[in-house]
Amino acid sequence: MSATQTAGERELAELIVTALNLEGVAPGDIDPEAPLFKTGLGLDSIDALELALEISKRYGFQLRSDDENNVRIFSSLRSLAAHIATNRVNG
Amino acid sequence: MTLRVAIEGVSFWASRLPGWEIARAVIRGDQAPPEAPSPRPSPTLLAPTERRRAPDTVAVALEVAVRACEAAGRKPSELPSVFASTHGDLAISDYMCSTLATTPTLISPVKFHNSVHNAAAGYWSIGTGSLAPYTAISAYESTFGEGLVEAATQVVCEQRPVLYVAFDIEAKGALSSMAPSRGLLGAALVLAPVSSSQQQRSLILTTEPVDQCQPTLARSAAAPLVADNALAPCLPFFEVLASSSPRTLCLALSRQLALNVQVN
Repeated sequence: MSATQTAGERELAELIVTALNLEGVAPGDIDPEAPLFKTGLGLDSIDALELALEISKRYGFQLRSDDENNVRIFSSLRSLAAHIATNRVNG
Repeated sequence: MTLRVAIEGVSFWASRLPGWEIARAVIRGDQAPPEAPSPRPSPTLLAPTERRRAPDTVAVALEVAVRACEAAGRKPSELPSVFASTHGDLAISDYMCSTLATTPTLISPVKFHNSVHNAAAGYWSIGTGSLAPYTAISAYESTFGEGLVEAATQVVCEQRPVLYVAFDIEAKGALSSMAPSRGLLGAALVLAPVSSSQQQRSLILTTEPVDQCQPTLARSAAAPLVADNALAPCLPFFEVLASSSPRTLCLALSRQLALNVQVN
């Protein structure tokens, strides 16, 4: 049984599914604690760049490709949503 | 210049001519085109990661590429290929230009990745796992004829079968006012060295001064269904191919030269 999504996690899950055109994935079905990359949703490096762009447009702050914390920030829906909640300037 | 090649496989796709069998029947006047347009083909050849990023160019090009290989009984990964498109993806080109003009740091990496003219050829080689060489070619209004010359030249020089894929999609935005194109249109051929032992349809290609070989006009019931697409100049070739008797046509190559195509 996967953990329950918060409202912020649900909003981000919808952005991920739409921005990356994920086939057969319902936003509400994304386990907030499961890995987003490789296993889990199976995203790759191009997805990471696309996602960073969509997040910067939606939430008004930059996710930098050289941030040494990227592995942790992008590790799951939960960690990415927490990073957005801390850094967002709009949306 | 004279090039002789055999035709091993043919395919065609437009939203109201979804497949060579239907297109041929409509061209011959054997049936009316379907009233309802078909949805964009799904490039099932691709892994999910590539498939969900595939733009219209890739969808239509891979559909006709797969079908032509099936018709020829050839393994896709073993064929060198030529991919011809008048405009590539003008929808993405328009997106790239307008984004660079307004918010240049906010270019979509996926759209950037798909913006190159050889995107369809690249997805094809990834999807089929092919290490055979591919060529991507564009020659504005002469694209179909020039691509055919390129593919036939490779067949004759290398003495091996070659996949030829031509496609164009809908133009969007400001660029569409200068380079209009509507809908999706794709067509493909597998061409091969002429074999004396096999009964195959074949082509004899020769270049001529354009004043002796005016480009043949499309005249079948299929013509209005694809007339607004940038690849529409390919249709007279497929009209001749739809006939079972030998015929000749002319395709544009440049302001000076035309391609005389004898279909046997």
